[in-house]
Amino acid sequence: MSLLLLSSVTKRYGAVTALDRASLNIEPGTLTAIVGASGSGKTTLLRMIAGFEAPDTGNIVFDGGDIAGPSGMVPAHRRGIGLVAQEGALFPHLSVGGNIGFGMERRSDPGAVDALLRAVELDPAIRKRMPHELSGGQQQRVALARAMARHPKLMLLDEPFSALDAGLRSNMREMVKRRLTEEGVTGILVTHDQQEALSFADQLAVLEEGRVVQAGSPRELYLQPRTEMLAKFLGDALLIDGRVQGGETDTPLGRIRVGRATSDGPARVMLRPEQVRLVPWSEGTPTAEIVSASFEGPITMVRFRAGGATFTLKVPSADAPVQGRASIVLIGTGHVIPAAG
Amino acid sequence: MLSAEIAAPRPLPAPAARLRRLPQNAPVLAAATIIALLSLIPLGFILVVAISAGWDQVVKLVIRPRVGELLLNTVWLEAITLPITIVLAVALAWLTERTALPGARWWAALMVAPLAIPAFVQSYAWNSVLPQLHGLWGAVVIAVISYLPFVYLPVAAQLKRLDPALEDGAASLGKGPAEIFWRVVLPQLRLPICAGALLVGLHLLGEYGLFVLMRFDTFATAIVDQFQSVYNGPAANLLGGVLVLCCVVLFGIEAVARGDRRYARLGTGAARMPVQHELGAWMIAALALLAITATLSLGVTLATLLRWLWIGGASIWALRDIGAALAQTVGLSIGGAIITTVLAMPMAWLSVRGSSRFQRGLEAAHLYAGALPGIIIALALVSITVRVMLPLYQTAATLVFAYALMFLPRALTGLRSSMAQAPVELERAAMSLGRPPLVAVWRTTMRLAAPGIAASVALVALGISNELTGTLLLAPNGTRTLATKFWALTSELDYAAASPYALLLILLSLPLVVLLRRQADRALSA
Amino acid sequence: MRFRLPLLAGLLLASLAGPAFADDGIVVYNAQHEELTQEWADGFTKETGIKVTLRNGSDTELGNQILQEGAASPADVFLTENSPAMVLVDGAGLFEPLGKDITDLVAEGYRPVSGNWTGIAARSTVFAYNPDKISEDKLPKSIMDLADPSWQGRWAASPSGADFQAIIAAMLELKGEAATSAWLKAEKANSIAYRGNTAAMKGVDNGEVDGAIIYHYYYFGDKAKTGENSSHVQLHFFKGQDPGAFVSVSGGGVLKTSQHKADALAFLKWIVGPGGQKVLRDGTSYEYAIGNGAESNPALPPLASLEAPKVDPALLNSQKVTELMTDAGLL
Repeated sequence: MSLLLLSSVTKRYGAVTALDRASLNIEPGTLTAIVGASGSGKTTLLRMIAGFEAPDTGNIVFDGGDIAGPSGMVPAHRRGIGLVAQEGALFPHLSVGGNIGFGMERRSDPGAVDALLRAVELDPAIRKRMPHELSGGQQQRVALARAMARHPKLMLLDEPFSALDAGLRSNMREMVKRRLTEEGVTGILVTHDQQEALSFADQLAVLEEGRVVQAGSPRELYLQPRTEMLAKFLGDALLIDGRVQGGETDTPLGRIRVGRATSDGPARVMLRPEQVRLVPWSEGTPTAEIVSASFEGPITMVRFRAGGATFTLKVPSADAPVQGRASIVLIGTGHVIPAAG
Repeated sequence: MLSAEIAAPRPLPAPAARLRRLPQNAPVLAAATIIALLSLIPLGFILVVAISAGWDQVVKLVIRPRVGELLLNTVWLEAITLPITIVLAVALAWLTERTALPGARWWAALMVAPLAIPAFVQSYAWNSVLPQLHGLWGAVVIAVISYLPFVYLPVAAQLKRLDPALEDGAASLGKGPAEIFWRVVLPQLRLPICAGALLVGLHLLGEYGLFVLMRFDTFATAIVDQFQSVYNGPAANLLGGVLVLCCVVLFGIEAVARGDRRYARLGTGAARMPVQHELGAWMIAALALLAITATLSLGVTLATLLRWLWIGGASIWALRDIGAALAQTVGLSIGGAIITTVLAMPMAWLSVRGSSRFQRGLEAAHLYAGALPGIIIALALVSITVRVMLPLYQTAATLVFAYALMFLPRALTGLRSSMAQAPVELERAAMSLGRPPLVAVWRTTMRLAAPGIAASVALVALGISNELTGTLLLAPNGTRTLATKFWALTSELDYAAASPYALLLILLSLPLVVLLRRQADRALSA
Repeated sequence: MRFRLPLLAGLLLASLAGPAFADDGIVVYNAQHEELTQEWADGFTKETGIKVTLRNGSDTELGNQILQEGAASPADVFLTENSPAMVLVDGAGLFEPLGKDITDLVAEGYRPVSGNWTGIAARSTVFAYNPDKISEDKLPKSIMDLADPSWQGRWAASPSGADFQAIIAAMLELKGEAATSAWLKAEKANSIAYRGNTAAMKGVDNGEVDGAIIYHYYYFGDKAKTGENSSHVQLHFFKGQDPGAFVSVSGGGVLKTSQHKADALAFLKWIVGPGGQKVLRDGTSYEYAIGNGAESNPALPPLASLEAPKVDPALLNSQKVTELMTDAGLL
């Protein structure tokens, strides 16, 4: 049974529709990432789950009970859903210990505070310090500890790593994932960073203009995105027009298998760059005319012409063709983006 | 005596770009030092009087029942007025800034408007309507309605800027709205509350007209009484010394209450707009509270004023006298304001272009006099000019100098925030193009800061036009400002004749309200 | 723009540098009620064409100012409401002795024996009471009665004013330091302090106190205007040479340092002569006239009937009074 179920939730602000019949199902013990560009409605969605906004239509069921819907709304402070905000939002007038103890029933239990600090890999001595004395990463850890102090069933994370340096980000990500999994806390992470989304979560939900366009495993979304925007969002994508015939499609880059269920006809095919290989040229193969090659360390950016169109591809430098012609080899399955509508 | 700034007279933090000291600093530094030394005159005077009076006389004149009585009055006044003002101001600010109140912007304007009415005019109106209201409770009521905006303004400005993420976080940690207010919002209001309360506390110490009409004796009223009876006697000056000590105590209390904890938002992200709470069933009560406050602080006085104007009819409009008073007020205000602003310029420029311990000391010297009641400054200057500099005695120059001391902090704060917007690179560019330093600064920074400087001059001018006690003591006997003429007529209980002067004072003060509101917002975002 | 601003500033500073003085005519430091003195000035200027510039202030303030200014003082004439300030200035030897032509115009007892200054008007101490709150038979027989504990919280005065301090100066002269000091201490315990005689009278009118020690003319003046501060007020004259029947003499003198002595003396002579005293009779000040053979305003009870105690106005010591009042905690 699901822990959190959003059914056809709509939210309008004046003329702007922030959420348009969004539906989402979260299983207990999983980590879900909600991704989307700014303005896609992901913050609204999170605030609605947290209890700071009420849906205009639709309802939300959490842990078997209605928390928002036509019958009313459970206020945020009674939902038992944890929240880690974008910059931690630690209370500046309380010490670290004071912050963590803020939500606890028995606030004067230093042992519990220490345990929480250790769990987020911080030295318990930090308890006496004030938030402004901590680094960004430390503040986020304390924010997590503070939210964990109440043992919530569901934890919401609102772009918690966006204010941190890149190097710190993956460390923090791993730590948060560890904590949540160890405690059995279901997590929902809102992010606009695709790498974060792909590596953190069991389930990915993509919001575009207030609608959940696709939800599934990262692998599924990466290899079989339902929209072009999503395809480009989750990584580099080569989008080319081709013609499907009998389970295969002809593209300027050559011929490739497509999904069995795809019907014949013109199609928009998505290939991931790692599916395209440039090998030394041989007769009778799809040909790439190298226009330019720019060395960038482990990869080389190669510009080539094929089938009347120009493509740019990142190729491993070890066997990158730098001039002349190369043969194009396609591996794996091409994915056809479903027509809109 | 609206001297100490609403955002608290503390030096600004050093600018982010650390500047190398310009070698051309020296003349400006010298100018600022001279002005700072002049500012220390009142303080030095008090000390000299205390020392020269001899210990025996000091004891005799200070340790006596009358002083005990005045001290008790002062303590009661502060202890009762301040909590009421704080609670009321926070409640009203919360209602106008953080709730879905209909017409919130209008209510906010009404809450600030009483600033346009000098405290002694409020007292006059209430006294003519309700003569039974006097003594401690009369003083408390009038003080609360007159000084409420001093706390309301900074608290409202801070409430607007609160990071909603903190309140959201507290809610997600299981705290209900009431607990969130106590444990998260209120601690963040500590700074503005302390700043506003300090301002109110200092005004209570220095205010004269209000308390005279309420027949409530404070140090300020006793000093004027002594002064008018004995003139330049030691008793008045020593009472002044006790008053200065009270100021110091207030500063100490505020420093302790303020603490050294930081309350500014952490992080750099843009804050979301704070949530406006629904009032639901509390709407009626909220509107009632706002309406009652507005009526008491504005309605009563304005209605009384209009009534007296009506009763007086055409005869009270003695245009020659009123015109003369208006001209003198405007002349002294603008002249005084320009001089004050010019005197504040060296320090303002120094403080936005760099910082050092010495400079901070200079700045403190510039600012402290604004916290002294006007009467102390006047007293000091009377005594000094009489004993040491007779040609300056009873001249407009001395009066203007007193105004400068009282309003330097206001000019300084206004100048700083507008000068800080002009980058130093422009000055350097002008200098590299061959302009001498002073001209470079004049042509670049001053030009850019001109609107802010003009606003600052206006603010000081309006403060001077409302000033009563210092003018009473220092003005050359021909002088009749709107405030002193109003006071003379009120003392004769000639309410009708006094009303045109009160009206003009309020009209002159209206721009003050608008400017102060904008400055309070700007000071917090600086 | 380059030069205009500094020029403007310079002019402004220059204009503020010194007080403006009238170059022609005389300068009068006036502590009397402005309206009255203005009437005198206007009458005098009309008759003689000499211009009169008034500097208004209070007794002590102007008296001390003259002392401080010393030889540099621009004052030609000094007019007061009460005598102590005159004594103060006279004590510093700053007055020009007046000739018999002036002093003969003033009734004896309303000018000091020394002849350095003269009285110009007079006012009587009264006990203004509210007949609704206290009946005539309960009124105090002497001002000294008010020290009695039975009067606690029932009477008022304006102790910070020069008027009241003059009354105390008379009490000091008549009853001595010990009695005055004791009375002042009792006043601290018994009376309500107002600021200004009008305020004290209004307090009586409101019923806040039973009565107040003020000067007579506040009552008559109010009655002649709207009467709103005196509708429930009656006057009680102590009589019987009681200190409470003290008649305070307003003084006038010419400064030795005056540059326009002749004109100044002429002005003073005019005030105490028929012209000036007529203003007191016909005008709205309701102060008593003290010229020889001059009549006061018919609304007032005759000066002679007031049975005022004999006090030499030159003996009134304001400094001692403020000392005693400070000791008693009134100041």
